[in-house]
Amino acid sequence: MLRKLRKSLIWYLFVAPTFILFGLFVAYPTLETFRLSFFQEVATRQEFVGALHYLRLLSNQVFLAALLNTAFLGILFLMIIIPLGFVMASLLNNLRVWPNLFKAIYFLPQITSTVAVALVFSYVFQPNWGLVNGLLRQLGVDPLPLWLAEPRYVLTGSRAAVTILAVWVALGYYMLIFQAGLQAVPAELYDAAVVDGAGPLQTWWLITLPSMRPTFVFLYITGTIEAMSRFSDLWMLGGPAGTPARSLQTIVMYIYQTAFESNDFNLASTAAVILFVVVLLLTLINFRSFLQREFSSQSGV
Amino acid sequence: MATSENISSMRPMTAIRGWLASQRNFQRLQQVIIFIIMVVGAIVMIAPFEWMLATSFSRSANIAMPRIPTFWPPDPSFFNYRVAITNLPLVRYYFNSVIVTALSTLGYLFFSSLTGYAFAKGRFIGKSFLFIILLTTLMIPFEIRMIPMYQLMRQLHLSDSYAALILPFISGGFGTFLMRQYISAIPDELIDAARVDGANEWTIYARIVLPLCGPALAALTVLSALWRWNDVLWPLLVISDRDLYTITFGLAIAGRSQGIFTGVALATSAIAILPIMILYLFLQRYIIRGIMLTGLKG
Repeated sequence: MLRKLRKSLIWYLFVAPTFILFGLFVAYPTLETFRLSFFQEVATRQEFVGALHYLRLLSNQVFLAALLNTAFLGILFLMIIIPLGFVMASLLNNLRVWPNLFKAIYFLPQITSTVAVALVFSYVFQPNWGLVNGLLRQLGVDPLPLWLAEPRYVLTGSRAAVTILAVWVALGYYMLIFQAGLQAVPAELYDAAVVDGAGPLQTWWLITLPSMRPTFVFLYITGTIEAMSRFSDLWMLGGPAGTPARSLQTIVMYIYQTAFESNDFNLASTAAVILFVVVLLLTLINFRSFLQREFSSQSGV
Repeated sequence: MATSENISSMRPMTAIRGWLASQRNFQRLQQVIIFIIMVVGAIVMIAPFEWMLATSFSRSANIAMPRIPTFWPPDPSFFNYRVAITNLPLVRYYFNSVIVTALSTLGYLFFSSLTGYAFAKGRFIGKSFLFIILLTTLMIPFEIRMIPMYQLMRQLHLSDSYAALILPFISGGFGTFLMRQYISAIPDELIDAARVDGANEWTIYARIVLPLCGPALAALTVLSALWRWNDVLWPLLVISDRDLYTITFGLAIAGRSQGIFTGVALATSAIAILPIMILYLFLQRYIIRGIMLTGLKG
């Protein structure tokens, strides 16, 4: 036993730094977030208050609006990016001239910082002289849409503008992952379809689409998690409150605002715990409903 | 009468159908259509960047923007760039970004591969238990632990330091997991042979395992570099000293401040974006391969 432990020693040294850092920056902060959510700062002491903050949050209109807004923006984004990314990847996969050049161009926004892109788009969507409205004016559109200045649920409001921004940024990444999946579809399936006399569209719909299921699931699950923690671009465009009229506020922005502008670390931690539970539940539900049969380490990408 | 009209109007259609019936012609048409769609998409991708450049070189952009968007500055000048560089210590910001990105990425590669090697080839008590803990950390997003992390940094008196921007990110569950998967595929015989020759584990790691991990290390470099370079939420919490702003964070603060001029703002954006784009032109192949290998976004 002792000899075995001594032999193990070197391996413990190899894993020690990583686990010390995990303890410091993952385990401790996560547990502390949970603890903070059950306490309340009174003068300089922390007092246990049970589920008080949870009850406060679940009747807090601003928090619930941020939660719903995050979900709404996430669903809207995924409903556009997944079909669009798949169609564009399928097209690009069949293109024989300059496929890599197009891949590189579509990927450009992805390597640019979200902050820089959001800043540029705040001017692109400027109502009077921005790039989008300037082109719309040329096309004779009147009255011109307000985009980022319009908080209502309309097709040319702030939510639409930030969804266009997110799709523009993410398209290259989604195409890349879809293309990796497309290239993994077994060639025999296509040969069989040709023998059966199927046309290209039929083959695409009946062979390619079903074979791509693992890729769709992978992008859907990672996309959901990412959408739930959206922050940088919307903070850049609307500040911590998601101006105009909180139409761009997400949960992470609410957490940031509560902690660092209202200085209520306990309430902010409670919101963080709720975000954690929501993300965990969504992931579990997605896993259960999509991955019951197929998931091997190879299938995703 | 009606039938003859029908027949004559059918003729061009049949002609097209006949032309398309040839496999080669059909494929040629298909290629042209796909190409056009891709070009339109590429224009949509590039136009905002091009418009940003054109506006940033236009001196009058600060006073009045043209009602019709132009993709070439009507009055080309470096004025906005000069103002941007005098207004903000952009060189300093870049320097900070390079330091923070380089050091955290080096640490990330080192600790991920070292621990990944132990999990792939090591034999020690509690290995599977520790591995489950490692997998659990993958489930905990940064946003959920950021408040205590911020408090911890304050208690350690690390706020407003490079250490605050680097330390929390020099190890990661994903990197360790990826390296473990990659190193597992290295044949045991190779490592056993070195052991027979008397090499210790550290030598095996440094001389045999690491040189074989090129693609995995390249992928992790891409991810870590993109994460660190583009991060804005963590600097927002722990950095208030202007001398420590990264280029991304400095741009964010400048862009969020009210009353910045359009031309200057877009020139500042261009200064933040262009060097990375030029780097991307050279490293494009590795970056895309790295993202494909990991499936993760930058």
